[in-house]
Amino acid sequence: MNINVLYGTETGNAEMLAEDIAAELEANHEVTAINLSDFDPANFDADTLYLLVCSTYGDGELPASAQPFAEKLESEQPDLTGVHFGIFGMGDSEYEETFNGGPKTLAELMIARGASQLGDRIAHDASGTDMAEDIAFPWAEQIVGMADETIGQAA
Amino acid sequence: MTGQIAIIGAGPSGCFLAQALLKSDPALQVDLIDRLPVPYGLVRYGVAADHQGTKAVSRQFARLFERQGARFFGNVSIGSDVTLDDLRGAYDAVVLAAGLSADRALAVPGGDLGGVFGAGKLTRALYEHPEAEALPQLGPRPLIVGNGNVAIDLLRLLAKTPEELEGSDLGHSPTDWLAASGIEEITITGRSPAAAAKFDTVMIKELGKLGGVTIRVLGAGETDDPQARKKLEALAALEEGEGPRRITFRFGLTPIAVEGDSRAEAVRFASDAGEEVLPCSSVLTAIGFDAPGDLPRDLLLAEESEGKLAEGLYATGWFRRGPRGTIPDNRADAKELAERILTEIAPDTTKTGAALLGALPDTTDYSGWSRIDNAETANPPPGRCRVKITTREDMLRLAREEETQ
Repeated sequence: MNINVLYGTETGNAEMLAEDIAAELEANHEVTAINLSDFDPANFDADTLYLLVCSTYGDGELPASAQPFAEKLESEQPDLTGVHFGIFGMGDSEYEETFNGGPKTLAELMIARGASQLGDRIAHDASGTDMAEDIAFPWAEQIVGMADETIGQAA
Repeated sequence: MTGQIAIIGAGPSGCFLAQALLKSDPALQVDLIDRLPVPYGLVRYGVAADHQGTKAVSRQFARLFERQGARFFGNVSIGSDVTLDDLRGAYDAVVLAAGLSADRALAVPGGDLGGVFGAGKLTRALYEHPEAEALPQLGPRPLIVGNGNVAIDLLRLLAKTPEELEGSDLGHSPTDWLAASGIEEITITGRSPAAAAKFDTVMIKELGKLGGVTIRVLGAGETDDPQARKKLEALAALEEGEGPRRITFRFGLTPIAVEGDSRAEAVRFASDAGEEVLPCSSVLTAIGFDAPGDLPRDLLLAEESEGKLAEGLYATGWFRRGPRGTIPDNRADAKELAERILTEIAPDTTKTGAALLGALPDTTDYSGWSRIDNAETANPPPGRCRVKITTREDMLRLAREEETQ
């Protein structure tokens, strides 16, 4: 399966996790990790699975590297019907009110353009005791399993 | 071998620079040098003990040493152990990423009275920096001058109940010190109006979780700017608590004198409404940082242009830009500087690199730090995620342990 791990990052933590997820999956799949700042929404492809990894910054906002992408989704309004994605959020529950605001915004933008979300939006808490990859690797395997049944099938 | 680069300072700006350099050219030899036996600088000793999520960035930095071939040389003072010129002679490029660790002085009459403490000095003591002074007596009514994020960190730490410090890495004696502080009231003052205050809104919202305080916000004013309005709304939302410790936010107050006989007893301010004197039991200044003086920063930066100081000499992070901007701002800075260094570097195979550092007697390396890190995190008490080793001697002893076995 073709998989793009798209990350939105501010401190680099989401970038590192995205690269780790890509390394974890590459034994069995064609995987590329791409910064959302380098990804054009016009290039979404129904035959590729998109794993989004996104942090939150400031007051519940998208991280810097996801902002141009989000702006393009809104201004260019691409039709993402048939595009499948899973989304993993990195947050910090010290900031209760805005916890995982970034990935929530990103998922809503994708769905508004017609993309289909696979699985739940999972959140890692930087103030918790779990390592991000310990949650993200099983999540990625699960989403890939779900995508096996949907990617390439008629939407 | 595509070049040898020494970075002075293993804090966030130095580590992000190493990361950007090695991402572009994994064959580079990047050596991070620090005054302390332990790496990560402000992430370890400046980021608040109760902001462990922010400290998670050190996992990226660990990878530099564990997988990307960067090396750590700790316990090396520039000036006394090696000189900057020595390093420039041994490396193809040297980067100053030493940060700014000295508190900017409150330059008003009485600013040097007893009972006036800089935020850096105080937080280093709270976070058990090996060179920190003892924690001082603040008395029942400390007054904070400044309202950037450092000031808010200090306010929050001082206002927290012992239970609210669960999950932090605040040490045993700072925890006891806080519990016994006897603080009844904290006043926090800023020069600017609230709408232009330097703190981030999210830092204010976090104060809303404090259980042991009653917060008043005086003279926050109004604004038409939507971003600034968020600050005012966040402040207004704080005025709900009913805890025993009182916190008062004040704005538009410029300190003109600290008053008291031998110790600070009040601060005199100028404001639009005239002068005002606020009594206090101590003054905590959080008004920025300066270079500590072990490196002649002004001289070094005299010819600085986009991070370049001289041939083969660069600067990044707070050392270059001044004490503004968050950890990720330094990351953006580092990426730009890495590109510049990589275009300019002219590797000279006769340069001997770390041989210079290897000859020093008491340096620590990454495996030494790993032993310290393991010792700190192996067995923390309930409610804590780490117990810091607090003295240089103990750090060095632990770092050496493996070698002597």
